[in-house]
Amino acid sequence: MATQLPLTSAQRTTFANRIAERFNQTLPLWLLLPTLLVLAVIQFYPGIYSIILSLQDRRAGAVEWVGFRNFERIFESAIFRESVGHTVVFLVGYVLVTMVASLAVALLLNQRLRLGGVYLALLFIPWVIADIIVGLIFGLLVVPEYGLLSPILSNPTLFPPKGLSIPSDPPPKPWIAGFPFPPAPAMVYLILASSWRALPFITLLLLAALKTVPSEIVESARIDGAGRLQLLFRIILPLILPTMVVALFNLMLGGINGIGLVFSLTRGGPGTATEVLSYLLYTIGFQRLEFGRAAALAVFMAVINLALILLTLRVSRVDERTT
Amino acid sequence: MLLPIALTLLTSFKREADVLRKPPVLLPCDAPDGSWGIQHCRFVLEGYERVLIPKPAPGSLLGFELTGRMFSTYVPNTFLYAFSSAALVFILAGLAGYAFSRYRFRGRRLLLVAILAITGIPLLTNLLALYQMAVDLRKANIPGYDERMFMVLVYVGFQLPFAVWVVKSFFDTIPRELEEAAFIDGCTPLCALRRIVVPLATPGLMAAFLLCFVNVWNEFIAGFLLLTRREVRTAMFGMYDFLSQNIINYQVIAAACVLVAAPVVILFLFTRRVFFEAMTEGAVKG
Repeated sequence: MATQLPLTSAQRTTFANRIAERFNQTLPLWLLLPTLLVLAVIQFYPGIYSIILSLQDRRAGAVEWVGFRNFERIFESAIFRESVGHTVVFLVGYVLVTMVASLAVALLLNQRLRLGGVYLALLFIPWVIADIIVGLIFGLLVVPEYGLLSPILSNPTLFPPKGLSIPSDPPPKPWIAGFPFPPAPAMVYLILASSWRALPFITLLLLAALKTVPSEIVESARIDGAGRLQLLFRIILPLILPTMVVALFNLMLGGINGIGLVFSLTRGGPGTATEVLSYLLYTIGFQRLEFGRAAALAVFMAVINLALILLTLRVSRVDERTT
Repeated sequence: MLLPIALTLLTSFKREADVLRKPPVLLPCDAPDGSWGIQHCRFVLEGYERVLIPKPAPGSLLGFELTGRMFSTYVPNTFLYAFSSAALVFILAGLAGYAFSRYRFRGRRLLLVAILAITGIPLLTNLLALYQMAVDLRKANIPGYDERMFMVLVYVGFQLPFAVWVVKSFFDTIPRELEEAAFIDGCTPLCALRRIVVPLATPGLMAAFLLCFVNVWNEFIAGFLLLTRREVRTAMFGMYDFLSQNIINYQVIAAACVLVAAPVVILFLFTRRVFFEAMTEGAVKG
């Protein structure tokens, strides 16, 4: 093919060239069009549909507009309130365990361990393992009597009075009526399994932030006589705070919506001890087929998600401005 | 960190009799007389055999066929979904990322922020509507329609927003002068994208591809709810199914876990640098 030469004025008047010119002028639109179409069908339309569905009652086959009745019914139901409690307990535990553990690992990796790339990558394997599989792996470890951890768990001296069976032990009596704390052993285990999976990613985030802490600041603080803890709490943590907030929101988003682990590890049980909001959405929508109420719950969760992501955006923009 | 994985690997190579011992043993290395030694270890492939169920088939390439449903149906399906969604995301995110990176048009910022906000909407809350769409599409009896197409579309829709951001931020790092030189040589914008930008932004595009591939591979709930026929179900559904079938056969479950997780773990180990870059980049920015 001959190389393209700049168009002469005579050529430019031809019809085909006019089209080509138009195409080039509006190129961004054509480049974006496929993406926007897909997003409209898969993201935008379902969002609108959920909102409409949440205002309707379709159980009898006929469509009836019921206003906010679905929302009222879901918010008033006992299982919703209980699930909110479970979700709060799960989120707090999940965020705390993951943040503290990731920070510890990141500090360790940043300080002296010069791990080769392969070892570092091995450490990060949990991150790419599917949540369903993580649930199965952790589930196998605590099968009563046969699981490899069961000798430890069923030891009555470690866990009085008669050992622990994670899949079946009911939650202890709550301290505050109506709020599921302290949680059931299954919930604690669910938190640990979730944190295990989230740890590599958060560690990576924090490690990247730690690398940006200037060594001069750390050095001068040390010369001024700052102890290790002082160094950590007064110097390092404030410097990586924006990243920690991003990590926090990231964890909360993942924690609210994560359902695979609940599916494969506890299925909401024992009883309803690990019935978090995401699993409740599944049970109402796809097991009891109460689409209106499920849609109301979905809208509620989507609003929380949007709020979280917009907050994240704000925080990370602050991050950009300061760096 | 790796302990649960190591224990699962260990379990997957045990015999059923050793898995079902009370109390459980870590290593099945004791002789019947009670003595313990490495030479007594009994590791078998029984678990793997029962996942794969190889049957001799003289005509095929390796001399046998895998007849276990997991590897004859579910895993190939998952591969199909993951690969085709990743390829589509690669193309669409490349085009959209180029538009966002190189053109200033009305509504650009708004669109960018909207796309970023969408990344926070989970698949879960849209599933009711998508489920209804899947049912309607099946009923509509469109000739040539296959529920696998809808599944891929759903995955693309959910992986695309983040990919657009990753790709855009990589495109931003490529100096525009290179393209301007190409324009002077008579290249159109699309030609510049293909010949200059894409080759230079390969790490970013690869990251978008790989992230999408791994995410779709690991996805469970959408595949579980939107697909109805057994022949088109995914590997994660297969795992879930295993759980209900093999209540006692823990070594089979462990072997299935290992086999289904292995492809993405290996992929990750070979391409870890791309992953690390893209994830920190994307997450710190949003």
